[in-house]
Amino acid sequence: MTLPSSPRKKFHFNFKLPGRAVRLVALLLLLGLSGYIYYLDVTIREAFEGRKFALPARVYGRALEVYPGLKLTREQFVEEFKSIGYHENPQPDEAATYKNTLNGIEFTTRDFVFGDGPQPLQHLRIEFADGKVSLLQVRGSKDVDLPLLRMEPPLIGGIYPGHNEDRELVRLSQVPKPLIDALIATEDRKFYSHWGIDPRGIARALYKTVTGQRIEGGSTLTQQLVKNFFLTSERTLSRKANEVLMALLLEMHYSKDEILETYLNEIFLGQDASRAIHGFGLASYFYFDRPLDRLEPQEIATLIGMVKGPTVYDPRKHPELALKRRDVVLQEMVSQNVITQAQFVAARQKPLGVVQRAPAGTSPYPAFLQFVHRQLERDYREEDLRSEGLRIFTTLDPFVQHQAEEALKSRLSAIEKARKFAANTLEGAVVVSSTQTGEIQAMVGGRDARYAGYNRALDTQRSIGSLVKPIVYLTALEDPQLYTLITPLDDNPLMWRQPGTTDWKPQNYDNQFHGQVQLRTALAHSYNVATARLGIELGVEHILDKLPLYGIERRPPPFASSLLGAFGLSPVEVAQLYQTFADGGFRTPLRAIRAIVTADGKLLQRYPLNVEPVAPPAPVYLLTAALQGVVREGTAQSMTNWLPVEMNVAGKTGTTDDLRDSWFAGYTGDRVAVVWVGRDDNKPSGLTGASGAMTVWGEMMKNIQHEPLEPAMPEDIEMVNVDPVSGLRYDERCKAGVLLPFIKGSAPAETSPCGASSADGQANDSAGAKAEAKPDAKPGGKQDSGKRNWFQRLFN
Amino acid sequence: MSGNRAVIALLDRAQADNESGQREAAGASLERALRIEPRNPWLWLELAQVRLAQGQYAQAITLARKSNSFAGRQHRVQAENWQVIGQARVAQGDSAGAGQAFKLSAELAQQAKAKGYHDSGFNFQ
Repeated sequence: MTLPSSPRKKFHFNFKLPGRAVRLVALLLLLGLSGYIYYLDVTIREAFEGRKFALPARVYGRALEVYPGLKLTREQFVEEFKSIGYHENPQPDEAATYKNTLNGIEFTTRDFVFGDGPQPLQHLRIEFADGKVSLLQVRGSKDVDLPLLRMEPPLIGGIYPGHNEDRELVRLSQVPKPLIDALIATEDRKFYSHWGIDPRGIARALYKTVTGQRIEGGSTLTQQLVKNFFLTSERTLSRKANEVLMALLLEMHYSKDEILETYLNEIFLGQDASRAIHGFGLASYFYFDRPLDRLEPQEIATLIGMVKGPTVYDPRKHPELALKRRDVVLQEMVSQNVITQAQFVAARQKPLGVVQRAPAGTSPYPAFLQFVHRQLERDYREEDLRSEGLRIFTTLDPFVQHQAEEALKSRLSAIEKARKFAANTLEGAVVVSSTQTGEIQAMVGGRDARYAGYNRALDTQRSIGSLVKPIVYLTALEDPQLYTLITPLDDNPLMWRQPGTTDWKPQNYDNQFHGQVQLRTALAHSYNVATARLGIELGVEHILDKLPLYGIERRPPPFASSLLGAFGLSPVEVAQLYQTFADGGFRTPLRAIRAIVTADGKLLQRYPLNVEPVAPPAPVYLLTAALQGVVREGTAQSMTNWLPVEMNVAGKTGTTDDLRDSWFAGYTGDRVAVVWVGRDDNKPSGLTGASGAMTVWGEMMKNIQHEPLEPAMPEDIEMVNVDPVSGLRYDERCKAGVLLPFIKGSAPAETSPCGASSADGQANDSAGAKAEAKPDAKPGGKQDSGKRNWFQRLFN
Repeated sequence: MSGNRAVIALLDRAQADNESGQREAAGASLERALRIEPRNPWLWLELAQVRLAQGQYAQAITLARKSNSFAGRQHRVQAENWQVIGQARVAQGDSAGAGQAFKLSAELAQQAKAKGYHDSGFNFQ
């Protein structure tokens, strides 16, 4: 196949014809330019569409549920008001206002959209008596009792887009007209008539560039918006040219109102630590703690003045400059008839009126927020979290959180002072959760709770020491044929050889050996040797295999020393472990999020309560009784300095080698809490679990209302009166002895005559415990033989 | 079910949602109620019934067991819990286990009847 030769020739460039070459070059240039313009067009449209909706996720704490009978004081309720931004007002009929009355408070709530739908504004009255809510009513022509009120939840933080930009989205219709007029008067008077650029401004900018002066000014609002999309300090001619082209393109695609609305939400208006303040909606809260539509003329002028230079005219950092600039804007406003002469005169006389402390934008609870963020990252793309305006309802209880923060801070300072440690050498972490629902109510990642850095509650893995012991004892108690609370354990010297590790000779904290001790006593006093021997008998692997059941995914080394906690866990992992003990053997994964709602109020996802049975209830019941013994008569006895004995707290101290880590994990009827105290450099802190972490725990919990710990008794448990020393059964009517729970069929069958050991004053429980601590000191002949019989029975 | 009117209000709402097929919303209201009375066996039973209706059989059984752990001597709520367990086992294909659960449920219901007013179901916390 041959091609005709003549057409081919046409494709030869003929440079002898200059006209053609010029035309071709022009064509190529035009093609290149249109390609470039197309590229700019795509870029600017993407930026516009993308930024238009880039809204940070808002994170809320728990919503306070108020009802008659709730334990709540007026002071606590007013604290709640403050955390959700209510203002005192003699006429409390506007949303988010309140007024103190003789017996209580009159107030008005806001409209609020919860995960389960909207809740309208309500005019209410609450009264208090004896530390409780005594009355809750809807105010009206006729007052009506209200059984339950859900308050709006406090905003506790945000997850910000890209470069930590925060904004409070406003619709154009929500923006007060004076603000728009003032903006146009000051920044771009021809906004509604130009095509995106101001030729005179550009000419001026060009002239200045050519004459070697700074490139500045001449920017329309549209150009400023473009500039904001690609914030950079670079001032070059090509950048300016791009800006002009993009401004023209924007005007081709979008209406003036769309551009203005985006501008109002996009413009950079200040910096709050790592958070960038974007848009007038957020700036209004950031500088004046009020929504945009409640700003006064001089406040509007202050914000408009900042457009020219948000850093230079920052009213907090440079009040004089900001004030001067504000007055210039006010002058423009009056000359363009945005405000009247009278308004102008009045406004000029007012101070800047900026609230001194910006409302917390970056969260006041960084440790908790980090936990929330990590849970979210499992289910959501990071970009969606940062841009879709999701509303995230969490479990944080600001009151409990406050107690946790204060207790940690004050106790660590007090300990350092009392022991003459260098200041700020101790660190700590706290986790508090609800027993039955697994909701995290408080999380503190260090003694400076506001510091958004290293989160010790989540990210520090420290040896847990004796906190692991309950797993060993629970494993034993799951076999009631062999183990009960009074089964004697051997606390004589032990040497353990295991391939792969050096010979192991565990010691007790007091460097003594205690002979035969009852199981509950060995746990109460945290005897290492008895526990190690018990664990080895039960099987190290067998015990460690149970950890995943309790939600601990980390696998400790398969050595016997792991039975004494020679492996690291984070405080939140320990909280998960103790949650199962506290909840009768049901494991509920710890949760920080309840629900996620989209920006327009649709429920996106709920994180429902999930419960799994992982340990039979009866042995867990026995374990809790033993852990109550730890507090009543064991290593945590000094808890009585903080909490009354009737609270029946169950808990365990943890102390590691050379006093590096001080732990306390414990529970009341409705809360599980874990405290770790130690040093970041892992040097000895000089503290035991009881002298460090437990004091933080007590200090924190004493200020929180608790249910006493009264676990539901499983059907296969019976209470039996036993002689605490011999472990023999007493007659039920016998007043001596101690009432202990047993799994049915496991209580000692052999009875002892009433008063056999009460004769020497060893009848009550705590005295009994002391006797057991030194078992060699008191064994009367009769008891001894009884004990041996009972022994034989158990081990035959 | 409860002596607390706030809890009753939430229970009413949950039951209305459950009847209209809004299981998630019903669950959410019950969780709110449980935050107020975490040891009320009737609330755990209601949640178990919602999960059963949602086809979450293992969760329904666990929640019914949890309800039983708080039930003490309240035979009526225990009887209801064993009903839930029985139905969940049927759905799981465990007919023998279901039979046992239904038998237990019937016995407990009998005992509840015999006790009459003693077991009115009220649980004051």
